[in-house]
Amino acid sequence: MNSTLLSLTIAILFGIGTFLILRRDIVRVIIGLGIMSHAVNLLIVSTGVFEGKVPIITDDGGHGAAEATGTVFTDTLSQGVLAPVLEAGHHVDFVDPLVQALVLTAIVISLATTAFILILAYRIYEEYGTTDIRELRRLWG
Amino acid sequence: MIALENHLPIILIATPILMASLMVLLRKQPGIQKVLSVSVSFILAILSVLLLLQVWSGGIQAYEVGEWGKYGIILVADLLSSGMVVLTSFVSFLALIYSLDYIEERSLSASYYPLFSLLVAGLNGSFLTGDIFNLFVFFEILLLSSCALVVANEKGGVTKSSDKMEATFKYLVLNMVSSIVMLIAVASLYATTGTLNMADISVKLSAMSAAGTLPWHVFAIALMFVVVFGNKAAIFPLHYWLPDVHPTAPSPISAMLSGVLIKVGAYGMLRVFFLIFIDTLYIFKPVIIYLALATIVVGAISAVAQTDVKRLLAYSSVSQIGYVFLGIGFGSVYGLTAALVYLVNHAIAKSMLFLTSGGIIHHAGTRDMRKMGGMVDSAPFMSLVFLAGAMSIAGLPPTGGFIAKFQLFDAGIGEGYYFAIAIALIFAIFTLFYMFRAMLLMFWGEKRDVAEHGEYSSHGTSPMIALPIVVLALMIFAFGIYAEPLIALAEATANQILDPQPYIDAVMTRVVR
Repeated sequence: MNSTLLSLTIAILFGIGTFLILRRDIVRVIIGLGIMSHAVNLLIVSTGVFEGKVPIITDDGGHGAAEATGTVFTDTLSQGVLAPVLEAGHHVDFVDPLVQALVLTAIVISLATTAFILILAYRIYEEYGTTDIRELRRLWG
Repeated sequence: MIALENHLPIILIATPILMASLMVLLRKQPGIQKVLSVSVSFILAILSVLLLLQVWSGGIQAYEVGEWGKYGIILVADLLSSGMVVLTSFVSFLALIYSLDYIEERSLSASYYPLFSLLVAGLNGSFLTGDIFNLFVFFEILLLSSCALVVANEKGGVTKSSDKMEATFKYLVLNMVSSIVMLIAVASLYATTGTLNMADISVKLSAMSAAGTLPWHVFAIALMFVVVFGNKAAIFPLHYWLPDVHPTAPSPISAMLSGVLIKVGAYGMLRVFFLIFIDTLYIFKPVIIYLALATIVVGAISAVAQTDVKRLLAYSSVSQIGYVFLGIGFGSVYGLTAALVYLVNHAIAKSMLFLTSGGIIHHAGTRDMRKMGGMVDSAPFMSLVFLAGAMSIAGLPPTGGFIAKFQLFDAGIGEGYYFAIAIALIFAIFTLFYMFRAMLLMFWGEKRDVAEHGEYSSHGTSPMIALPIVVLALMIFAFGIYAEPLIALAEATANQILDPQPYIDAVMTRVVR
């Protein structure tokens, strides 16, 4: 039930973002891009929400593919060489920590691109005196 | 020095990033910046050749960043990625030499060197990484740095800055949307397989496919990757940003964008489809071939009507990338060999043509080809090298472009794609037509006075501008006359792409330190 609500939220955010990107005002396009990138961030987080399954621990869940093939890295996890995220066979309700790292990276990147595009929009406003995309037609694709 | 050889993949990425931060600190000393960035770029070119030789003799290298075992990020250097890195380092070194005299002093010392280093880092990183999320990260690095480089000013104000901003806005919005699509695809792949390592994803998807439990949404993910890499490479329905961005950028940056940056899309397509989706590719083979044909047709027809010399070259890039994707779509060893040979030859010829177009524009004082004329007398060097580039793009015999086109058509006929080859052949004649129409307009006919137009100030041709053009022109003829080493390398690379097992083995069977 929880994930249905989450999926619905993501879908609505994508819809709003797409609608705003197709507007004629530059500022609305940028807001639309921001909303869409947040929808994607939510989507990434939602891929890490399982019921007691942690994908990077191969012997407790994953999605079954690792067990099917038996192909894993030949590491020495049992000897405690690596930082173990969870001990083998230890069952807890857990959210995948990797997706949070991915989302942090994606947020930082979208911050940088949004900052750049906002400055670009300001300069376009200075040069053209308008933020209407229809008036930005000196180049023809 | 012993350590250096074992750490080449990370050095090729870390050095440009380090240089970028160093160059920001050194912005008050333009002399030091100049010497340091050119010499580091030269060293990177040598190191990339060294990496290619290592991979050629010693097989695929997998380099762990940090000691995180299977949780860590991995860099993989196989023949494809190290070959692309050699191409990047070479073109970027020549473009950097060119830009020393071409870019305006103020923008050169303030922001040009750091952004150029970041662009090189992004390119090298996206070629070398073995982790699909890192591919996204490096794509963003090269997207942002190339956007900022497009708005850099050249000497004399060739392009109005309002045009640059409009073009960059289109480029950035379209590429941000494609980045969002790529993130969706990566997140879905992660949710399906529980890993981000490309080799690991490949193994798990093959296992699911063999067990008959491949989820249907994997095909949707594959289609999303077609959209993403198609946008990067500017194939047909997604190419509308390219003819604005590439002409408005300063000439050395146009050379980097058309020479190397759109090849990132072709590289990604090769990597993702022949490694990850090896079992799902067969559905998209006709899609790629039809898109490639549409790209060839649209690019060639649009190029014929252009009057702006750099815009003509940009539309020509759209058309030429279609040929590369045609070779990828064939999917056989010979087709991939032809695609790779085509890719290298187009990178060299188109970089040279864009660098030459900078010189032509500065000589003529206008971008409009109709206002030029008689440059064969007033600028014999420019007309000679433009002829060499045009011959290579059009595919005339003593140049590398002929070898590439011949191989591609031969591969297509051998595979039985007669219809596709017929269309490609017709539009290869279009290429000949628009290239020699440009020659006719610019170099022959009545001689025009150079100072007549005065749309901006001219600064003539300096040795720094001539040298990279000469080197690239010699390369064009070298690849045309003695093409065997390039073809042998491309064939070995194609074999390696089509048989991903060594790649998977190199990545997967590592013992954690």
